[in-house]
Amino acid sequence: MNRSKDLDTIAPDDNIVDSKPESVLVTEEKSEIELTPEIKDEPILKSEPKSNEKTPKKVVFPQKIYDILGHTKSPFSSFLVHPKVLTFPERDTEEEIYLALRPHWFNNFKWIAFTILMIFVPTLFRYLSFLNFLPLNYRFEVTLFWYLLTFLYSFEKFLSWYFNVFIITNQRVVDIDFHNMLNKHFAEADLDVIQDVSSSVKGIFGTFLNFGDVLIQTASEINQINFEKVPCPEKVIKLIRELREEEEQKQDEKGGKK
Amino acid sequence: MSPNFLTGDWLTYFLLIQKIFFILCSLFYFIFAAIVVRQTISMSKNITDKFNSIIIIFSYIHLILAGFLILSTIAL
Repeated sequence: MNRSKDLDTIAPDDNIVDSKPESVLVTEEKSEIELTPEIKDEPILKSEPKSNEKTPKKVVFPQKIYDILGHTKSPFSSFLVHPKVLTFPERDTEEEIYLALRPHWFNNFKWIAFTILMIFVPTLFRYLSFLNFLPLNYRFEVTLFWYLLTFLYSFEKFLSWYFNVFIITNQRVVDIDFHNMLNKHFAEADLDVIQDVSSSVKGIFGTFLNFGDVLIQTASEINQINFEKVPCPEKVIKLIRELREEEEQKQDEKGGKK
Repeated sequence: MSPNFLTGDWLTYFLLIQKIFFILCSLFYFIFAAIVVRQTISMSKNITDKFNSIIIIFSYIHLILAGFLILSTIAL
């Protein structure tokens, strides 16, 4: 019986069949290699495809990114790891979003508290008889107007938070901001132009809830990109460093080939 | 004896001015609500996410309520 060198044990009397070192064990009936009748029934050792052969590209999300960032369950989270639905129009077809960040939820606390106060203002006015100088139907109008205004205020604040997104992809970092719903700010920097990444956690709540600013210094026209009040800044920095190292390695490999 | 301005013709004028003021306010508010809808759609195009459609629906509800505000002010 012929045996392969790759097997752990080789019987002394067996013939040895050479196989390529990088080989994968597969069960197939047909093979390009002509097989002797003795080994036809045995599993065939098939070598891996050559580099110049065309194989369909599979985008696999790296496990090490999950190791650094963990997983996210809620779509309303401020820390979205590998979001499947979230995207932006400037995104390339092969670009993959690793992390999407919004300001920490605690930053919404102020406007939520203010909205709750605003909801109770008409009740307070009714109690204190402030609107008594108005006819009854006008009082209803004023109350409706006030509630609409309250809704508009909270809605605007929510939108400012929801659409204020920082994105880290496998190619670049992107900062999309909307100020007062009317002004859009878009900033991006490729991973290879990132020079320095730093973070700052300020205040009692920042320290307690672990959120802060991430400052990215770049060598491009936009000198710096600031991710404001994002959760887990240390994880963000770690991810950017990891991606930057990968990018450097890729560039070194390209340079080596040339 | 000080005259009471909120009787007779004065009261009618006061209520008329008040009504015009309310209608103008609600008209401006309606225009602003329309801008909000426009901006929400624009923002949703810039960042596509799971809840964009719900947010757009909310902005339309707000616009409808603003329209209702105008109608109810006119009906006063």
